[in-house]
Amino acid sequence: MTEQPSENSSEIRPPIDGEMNSLGVTRMEAAFGSGDGDENAFAAVSQGQTEVGTIFNQVYRPWRGKLGPRWTRNYAIYRHHVYGIITSKGHRYYHPFIRLAVLFILISSMSTLGFLILGSLIGEPEIMRPFGLNRNNIYSKILGFFPRNALWWPLLTALVIGGMISEDRAHGTSAIYFSRPINRLDYAVMKYLSVASILGGVILLTYVSYYSLAIVVEGHGWAYLFDSFPLFVSGLGISILLIITYTSIGMALSAISKGKFFPAVGFLSIILGTKLVAFLIDSLFDRSIVYILSPYDNLAHIGQLVMGINPGYDHPVAFSAVSLLAMNVISLYIISVRVNSLEVTRE
Amino acid sequence: MASLNSDWLIEAKSLTKNYGPHVALDNVDIQLPRGSIGLLGPNGAGKSTLIKTLLGLIQITSGEGKVLGHDIRTEGDAIRSKIGYMAEYDTLNPDLNAVDQVRYSGELLGMSPVVANQRTHEVMEYVGLRDQRYRKIGTFSTGMQQSAKLACAIIHDPELLIVDEPSNGLDQEHRGFMLDTLFNIVRGGGRSILMSSHLMDDVQIVCDRVIMIHKGRVVVHRRIEDLARQIDREIEISVWGGASKMEQQLKDSGLTVRRLGRIMRVLREDESTVDTILSCASKVSVQIRQMEEYEPSLEDLFLLIMDKLGYGTRSASELLNSIPESQVIGDGSIGGASI
Repeated sequence: MTEQPSENSSEIRPPIDGEMNSLGVTRMEAAFGSGDGDENAFAAVSQGQTEVGTIFNQVYRPWRGKLGPRWTRNYAIYRHHVYGIITSKGHRYYHPFIRLAVLFILISSMSTLGFLILGSLIGEPEIMRPFGLNRNNIYSKILGFFPRNALWWPLLTALVIGGMISEDRAHGTSAIYFSRPINRLDYAVMKYLSVASILGGVILLTYVSYYSLAIVVEGHGWAYLFDSFPLFVSGLGISILLIITYTSIGMALSAISKGKFFPAVGFLSIILGTKLVAFLIDSLFDRSIVYILSPYDNLAHIGQLVMGINPGYDHPVAFSAVSLLAMNVISLYIISVRVNSLEVTRE
Repeated sequence: MASLNSDWLIEAKSLTKNYGPHVALDNVDIQLPRGSIGLLGPNGAGKSTLIKTLLGLIQITSGEGKVLGHDIRTEGDAIRSKIGYMAEYDTLNPDLNAVDQVRYSGELLGMSPVVANQRTHEVMEYVGLRDQRYRKIGTFSTGMQQSAKLACAIIHDPELLIVDEPSNGLDQEHRGFMLDTLFNIVRGGGRSILMSSHLMDDVQIVCDRVIMIHKGRVVVHRRIEDLARQIDREIEISVWGGASKMEQQLKDSGLTVRRLGRIMRVLREDESTVDTILSCASKVSVQIRQMEEYEPSLEDLFLLIMDKLGYGTRSASELLNSIPESQVIGDGSIGGASI
C-alpha cells in the first residue's frame, strides 16, 4: 500500500464505487491490501492539515517614547469624560439615552431663542415681553424654577454625575489612575471640571446664545450693549455659581456610592425634595427660613440680589449665602475624603 | 538619600510602615537586582503594603527606599511613570472597548492620543488580543481580561512590571500563555518583574528570585536555585510489591526514608546511596519501577520555610489563604541549613 503525498491527490483518486465493482476490487481490499501483494494498491488518505495564515509570533517591542508632563495626563482625564458626551467612541461611555437626553435639554432650554426670533419677525410685543432682554428674563433663563430648575438643570446634572466617581470604585478602575503618575487631587479636580464643563456647555451656551440673539433681534445698538453688560456679567456669575453648586453636590453623591442610580436619584431628591419640604413649611407656617435647606432656593435668593430684582424670601440673604457656602464646603470635603479612600491594591 | 545606591532595582533600608498600632512593614531591608522576583507571603503579611510603598502611594513611617533610583517618599510620580502595575482584581471599565481602555491607560501616563493608539495595537498584539481588541471588555473572558490588564500595564514599556496574581482565575491554556508572556517580557524584553502570586508553580516558572514576607518582615530573600541547594537532596523511588519490607530494609541499612504508599523518598547521604537502595531492593526482592533524584519545587521550599516559622499546612495555597493568629517568626532554616 502506498500513501501518496497530498499534492498528488488527483493522481491517486480512488475509483468511485462503480469502478470498484467493475474491477472486482472491494474498498476493503484496496485499503488493507488483502490481495497477493503484487497489485498496484492505493489508499484514500485524508489531506494532511497544513498551516495557513500567520503564525502568532510573540515578540516584545520596546518603546522609546517620552511621556508628557502633568497637564497632558490631566487633560486626558478631562477629554475622556467631556468628549464622551459627544461621542462615546474612544471616550467615556455614556448611554445613548443620556446623550439624547442632554441634547433634548439643550434644545429645550434654547426654545426661548425661537420665540425671540418669532416675536421679532411678527413684531408682537406680547411675545417679546416674556422673552425679551431684561433683568427678570435673564434671571429666569438661569434660575427660573420651572422648567429649568425643576426639570432641566437637575436632570442634566443627575445624568452626568451618575457613575463619574462611583464607577471607578465599583469597577476598580481607580487603580488605572492611581498606579500612574496621577495624584488624587488631579483626579478629583479633572473629574469635577469635566462635569462642570458639560453642565456649563449647556447652561452657559443657552444663556450666552439668548443674550446675543436678544441684542440682535431687538435691534439694540452698542450703547444698549454696554449698558446691559453688567446684567450679562451678573447672569454669568449666578450661572457659574449654579454650576459649581450642582457639580459639588452631584460629585459628592457620586463619590459615596458604587453605582449610577443612587447619585442621580439622590441629587434629584436633594434639589427637588428640599424645595418641596421648604415650600410646604413656608406655606403652612409662613417660615421662609426653611428655604436655606434647599440648594436651589439659596441660589435663587442670591441670584435675586445679584440681578437686582425683588427677593422672594423673607429671611436675610446672608443666611442663604452661608448655607450655600456650607453646602459646597461639605460636598468638597466628602469628595476629598472619598477619593482618598479609593484603593489601588485590594486588601 | 546618600546611604542608598541607585543601581538596584529596589532598595530599602529599615523601611517601616505602621497603621496605628499595627505594623504592616517592620524594618524591611532589601536590595533587589534587576530580573524577575517572586513576592510570597500569607494574606496580611504586608505584600500589598509593600507594593503600595514601592509605587510611592503611601507615606512610610520610617526608613528609606528607592525604586529605579527614585526616592519612594518624594518621587512617587517618577516611579509610577516607570512602573507598570497589573492588579489582581478587575480594574477595567466593562463599557469600554479593550482598545479604548488600553489607549486611555497610555494617555493617563502622558502619551499623546496618536502615540498611545499606535502603542496600544502593538501591546494588544503582544498579549494575544487581536480581533477581540474591538470588543467591549464586559464581554471578555477572564483570560482576555487578564491580557487586557497586562496590556494596560506594559503600554509604556515600563522598566519594572508589578503583577499581582496574574494567573488568577485562568484555565490551564490561558495560564500558560500568561506566564509565557511574562517570561518573554523578562527574557526577551529585558524588563524586570515583581510578581505576587499564591501559585508557587507560577512564581517558579517566571521568577529566578523570591522574597518571602511574614508579618511585615522579609524572612527569605534568595535566588530560587540557591534555596533549592540548601534543601536536603532526596532520591525518589517507586516500588512494586513489598513496599513495607523495602522501607524497613532501607531503614535497617541506615537510610532516612519518607514513604507515601509505594513512593518513597530516601535522603541522599553520599554517592553510595543509590547502590545501597538497589542492594536493599535486591535483598527483599522488590521491583524498583522508577528512581530519580527529587528536585524540590518552590512549593516544597515554601512549605519547609513556613514549617520552620511554625505553620503546619498541607499546601501553599492552604497556607496563603488562611493565617493562624498564634504563629511567631522564628529563625529561618530549611533542612538544617540557615537561611
